[in-house]
Amino acid sequence: MSVAIEVQHLTKRYRQTVAVDDVSFSIEKDTIYGLLGRNGAGKTTVMSMLTAQNFATSGQIRVFGEHPYENARVLQRMCFVRESQKYPDDALPRHAFGTARLFFPNWDQALADRLVDEFQLPMKKTIKKLSRGQLSAVGVIIGLASRAEITFFDEPYLGLDAVARQIFYDRLIEDYSEHPRTIILSSHLIDEVANLLERVLVIDGGRIVLDERTDDIRDRAANIVGESRAVDAFVAGREVIHRESLGRVSSVTVLGTLSAEDHRQLSAAGLDVTPVSLQQLIVRTTQHAAESAPATTGEPADIDEGALR
Amino acid sequence: MSRTLNVVRMQLINRNTYIWIPLLVLAGAFVLSLALYAIIPSEGIKVGGGAQAPLWYFLVVGVQALTLTFPFSQAMGVTRREFFVGTYLTAAVTAGILAAVFVVGGLIENATDGWGLNGWIFYLDWIWQAGPLGAFVFYFLLAMLFFSAGFWSATIYKRFGALWLTAILLAIAVAFVGVLWIIGRANAWGPVFDWLGSQGSLGLALWSLVIIAVLAATSFVPLRRAVP
Amino acid sequence: MIEEGRALFLQIAESIEDQIVDGSLAEESQAPSTNELAAFYRINPATAAKGVSMLVEKGVLYKRRGIGMFVAPGSRDRVLETRRGVFSDRYLEPLLAEARRLGLGPDDLVALIRERADRTESAPAERSAP
Repeated sequence: MSVAIEVQHLTKRYRQTVAVDDVSFSIEKDTIYGLLGRNGAGKTTVMSMLTAQNFATSGQIRVFGEHPYENARVLQRMCFVRESQKYPDDALPRHAFGTARLFFPNWDQALADRLVDEFQLPMKKTIKKLSRGQLSAVGVIIGLASRAEITFFDEPYLGLDAVARQIFYDRLIEDYSEHPRTIILSSHLIDEVANLLERVLVIDGGRIVLDERTDDIRDRAANIVGESRAVDAFVAGREVIHRESLGRVSSVTVLGTLSAEDHRQLSAAGLDVTPVSLQQLIVRTTQHAAESAPATTGEPADIDEGALR
Repeated sequence: MSRTLNVVRMQLINRNTYIWIPLLVLAGAFVLSLALYAIIPSEGIKVGGGAQAPLWYFLVVGVQALTLTFPFSQAMGVTRREFFVGTYLTAAVTAGILAAVFVVGGLIENATDGWGLNGWIFYLDWIWQAGPLGAFVFYFLLAMLFFSAGFWSATIYKRFGALWLTAILLAIAVAFVGVLWIIGRANAWGPVFDWLGSQGSLGLALWSLVIIAVLAATSFVPLRRAVP
Repeated sequence: MIEEGRALFLQIAESIEDQIVDGSLAEESQAPSTNELAAFYRINPATAAKGVSMLVEKGVLYKRRGIGMFVAPGSRDRVLETRRGVFSDRYLEPLLAEARRLGLGPDDLVALIRERADRTESAPAERSAP
């Protein structure tokens, strides 16, 4: 499969803090990726650099084999509407869509119109007067209707109610089925989008901590629950990433796929196995990594990754 | 080229900035000037600076051209060069329209002998020395000068921040005062004024082209590294 | 419907096999398309496609060029056979373990199973509430 984006040793330093720390990965074409991580982990900074909106301190970026900076040929094949996107002061939603139509060669107006209906977007209000959810809807509509070969969705569901979120996920799947393209969905809510993702990139403290196919990691961890001593006996020698206890009962998350033999042992010992959701796996793995590693540079959690001034 | 034209269309989304407010400022200045002239009980020539107002407003246009539209243009995948050229093009078009309005206003003013009041807003002799075309160029370049100054300030602010902008403006002011002081020391005010007078309004306007070019160039460079 | 902790494509494949076993998806009938599966389960189409190709590899589904995926003849029996093989591991193992904990031997289990089976068969078929 060919590569849409290639990133090598990408670093972004802001005076004291390192927002993105020696990050390398490649994004394959026509795949839905999840760019997952906590707030301030570096997701928006990475996406800004990939779209030449922000600049790397060091490292290489190649989009369709070229560097995106001041490269209209490449930039028009990408769409990145950030979570805190600013629009022209007097702009109505139709102005934003009208402009997107001018700049994105694959723009589908029929799709945009349909989405406006489904999201019940008020077309007579200026964008700056829209609610948070309606503002997100504008971004989602631009992202979906642009049909750009590489589309970034930056925390797209902020402010969207549950119904609107389902509309987004459903339309995304539907449109991706008919018009496959590279989609990168950044999120700090993992479980909701987990089933949409073919691959996950987890970024924590500016570093990539996980770069895998979703299917490969779905069964990579398990919760062993039961009487504490029995649990400890079973997990001895395995990598434990999380431990909880209530009285004599423990719930321990172990890494490693369980074999049939393991299941037999567990049944015999009277222990229960409960599944670990993708979100739990990622959260616990990153927590575990943070606990074992010594504290490095300061948390860039308060950096406003997007707009600076 | 078409992408650059699309930048123009994108800028013109800001109806208030480019169309309504300039019209309002112009209309307001015009009405106020006429009202004042009507009130003053004099048959003599009345000249006012009302025409200046929309030109000064182009300073604001310059600032807003960057602040309101640059972040959105980045989301649309527009390169910084396309944005720069397209925005200046938009300014040129609107400055051209404003200048045309001024010239037409001047012609009417001339024909009506100062709106029947001997009151002069648009047709100022020293501006119209080189005829209506000269006046057009003068007003056009003046508007572009103000635009460039506003755009330049906004770009410096975006790229380097408030502190640096203030420092640079201060440095420019100091340099300007320094030049004045040197002229004073050399007792050169006479020759300086003579020379300024000899240039005429058109000549001065063309010199401002140099300043516009400098402002444009020194806004393009920081723009290339500006983050939306 | 979708479980955590297990590969999605496996669950998709199983769900199709379930339908073959209970007869709702007859042999030689058309299986749902990848896009239909993706939309229904709200999952990535590539995942659905992976589940479908796994079934093609197993010989449960086959492809008719230009039309789509169809249920292979004989697949129902094959799936039943595989499932019966897995039945012991999946259901009997935990059952025996739990029975042991409760102090029930295999003979006790057999008696309980008999009793419960009789009860179910004699009672008129009731709609089980969800």
